[in-house]
Amino acid sequence: MSKSVLGLYNDPNQAADAMDALKNAGFAQGTFDVLTGTPYPEGAFGEHVPQHRLFRFPAFGAIIGFTLALFLTAATQIAYPLVTGGKPILSLFAMLVILYEMSMLSAVISTVVGIVIESRLPNVNPGVYDNRITEGLIGVVITTDDDKADTAIDALNGAGAMEIKQA
Amino acid sequence: MASEAVHSGAHSGVHAEAHEEAHHELPARVEPDVTTSELIATTEANATGVRNWMWILGALTLVGIVVAFVKVLIEWSDQDEWGYTAAMVAFLFSAFGGAPLVAIAGTLAKGNWVRPIARFAALCSLVSIICTIWMIPLILNLPMLVVDGARRRSIWFEGPDVSPHIWALVAMITLIISALGLIYAYAIPDFAAMRDHSTGWKQRFGAWLARGWIGTTVQWRTMRMRIGMMGTLYFFTFVFVHFIISTDFAMSLVPGWRDAIFPMYHAISSIQAGLAVTVIGLWAARKYLGLNKYLHLDQFWSIGRLMFAFTLLWGYFFISAFIVFWYGRSGSDQMWIDYLILGPYFWVFILAVLFIWFTPWWWLIWNRVRRSYNGTAIGAGLILLGVFLDRVRLYVAAWTVPEDRIHERFLTEYPSTVYPDVMDIFIMVGALAGSILLILAATRVLPILSIWDVQQFNLLYRPVEYMKTKVSLIGKPD
Repeated sequence: MSKSVLGLYNDPNQAADAMDALKNAGFAQGTFDVLTGTPYPEGAFGEHVPQHRLFRFPAFGAIIGFTLALFLTAATQIAYPLVTGGKPILSLFAMLVILYEMSMLSAVISTVVGIVIESRLPNVNPGVYDNRITEGLIGVVITTDDDKADTAIDALNGAGAMEIKQA
Repeated sequence: MASEAVHSGAHSGVHAEAHEEAHHELPARVEPDVTTSELIATTEANATGVRNWMWILGALTLVGIVVAFVKVLIEWSDQDEWGYTAAMVAFLFSAFGGAPLVAIAGTLAKGNWVRPIARFAALCSLVSIICTIWMIPLILNLPMLVVDGARRRSIWFEGPDVSPHIWALVAMITLIISALGLIYAYAIPDFAAMRDHSTGWKQRFGAWLARGWIGTTVQWRTMRMRIGMMGTLYFFTFVFVHFIISTDFAMSLVPGWRDAIFPMYHAISSIQAGLAVTVIGLWAARKYLGLNKYLHLDQFWSIGRLMFAFTLLWGYFFISAFIVFWYGRSGSDQMWIDYLILGPYFWVFILAVLFIWFTPWWWLIWNRVRRSYNGTAIGAGLILLGVFLDRVRLYVAAWTVPEDRIHERFLTEYPSTVYPDVMDIFIMVGALAGSILLILAATRVLPILSIWDVQQFNLLYRPVEYMKTKVSLIGKPD
């Protein structure tokens, strides 16, 4: 069985110390994290900064939208071949507006989907949490096996936790 | 912190004190728990006053909608009767649609001053919903591309007859999705704060929209990214919608009007108006919601400078277009000057130039004006009036061109001035009231200032002594 343990801190420096203490106690990076109500500069707590793939969503969406628009405009022009202003039937400049618009639409929709996926939302099992985090307290949370929970609690308390919560 | 910026200007002694009074009333830091409780309380602040305003605005909106229905019934097929509605939609889209760019540009440039105002600026994008609704009668009244076998000049070179109608709607829907995505991207941590500290339906609403946000490293990291991405996508959609609206709903309706600069001119004046809307919204938030602790002179001063820059830029874009027509002297060039400048809307043009450019220029040029809350707000009001008059000049003129002459090489006989009738006035007031109502209603759900942004402002900012003066020390994370 695994257990989540949360240490609450008033002082960001103590939270950073707690992160170091967990690392020194042998817990692997990624098993513990810091919870804050405001975005601290990345790495301020010595936390593991994971890579994200959010940029793939708009890029993928834009490619899909562009391809669909290319098909739509090219197929329309080939199906109804009207020479306008002596330009070729497949004229890129006549297609440009729709290519842009559908690329944007598709990129926007896929980015919104990407936001939900990459933010790990909805987070149906947020584990142990405290409402005071959105009032400025800093939480250090670790999910570990039952038999290592005491070690984690000692590490969190050693850094000066004002309160420990478990779930 | 990767770098630190010292932000001040004063040098010494008396000058430093005077300067401090004039500009550097350095913001006091506010504790996070106070920020959270006070900003959540703004959704209930001045409840009676706001509710009364919402009733008035709601009534005006309703009257506007009813009058619009009546207008549809009795003046449906008269294109020239919809000019003022088109002007109002263009104005609302320009003013409120441009406001989020203040938040986007400031956030992407990592400006600390922009943090407290980003929420309000982003909320203004909600008005794209109102614009889309009011665009429906305009889209239905927009002439087909091909009438009596003749095709009018437009950006839809080979497109089907209804291309402008369909793609304008698609563009507006794209803008709405971008706007909602941008607002939501900014707001998730605040929904979590509402979940944790509100009561009743707001608490349940916050819990539902927070989607389990607890502020992990991954969540904050992806939030930064999504704000950047949604902001960028909003910007690209915003300029595209300006291109579509300015060409399909104005330029292509006037035969002979060919102006490559016009869509850019439209977008630039929109950003100018967006800055003005932001200033007026912040001024009202300070005055009526008591947010003096969070909205400082720095925000007004910074936006005031931007407004001044965009006011000058308006002149540059206008002259860049004008000089081509002035020296071109072809029939269509002369038509542009005679119809859109010297023609039936000459006095509207004069007033527009006065309010959009000349008066704000000589008002905002003074440091003392830009360093005052009221001075900046007055400048913003002038600009909004000017942009509205400019849209009237352009859109009413475009919509009064008879449909049977829309395919001419250029306009040779100019329609006379069309004045707004009672229905136009009710529709315009209703559309404006609906826009303000929507934003006001949003501030009853979400705090008008973003809690986490204000907390980050305080986190990264320290007022410190520097030699004989005080300066702001601002941390800028990579």
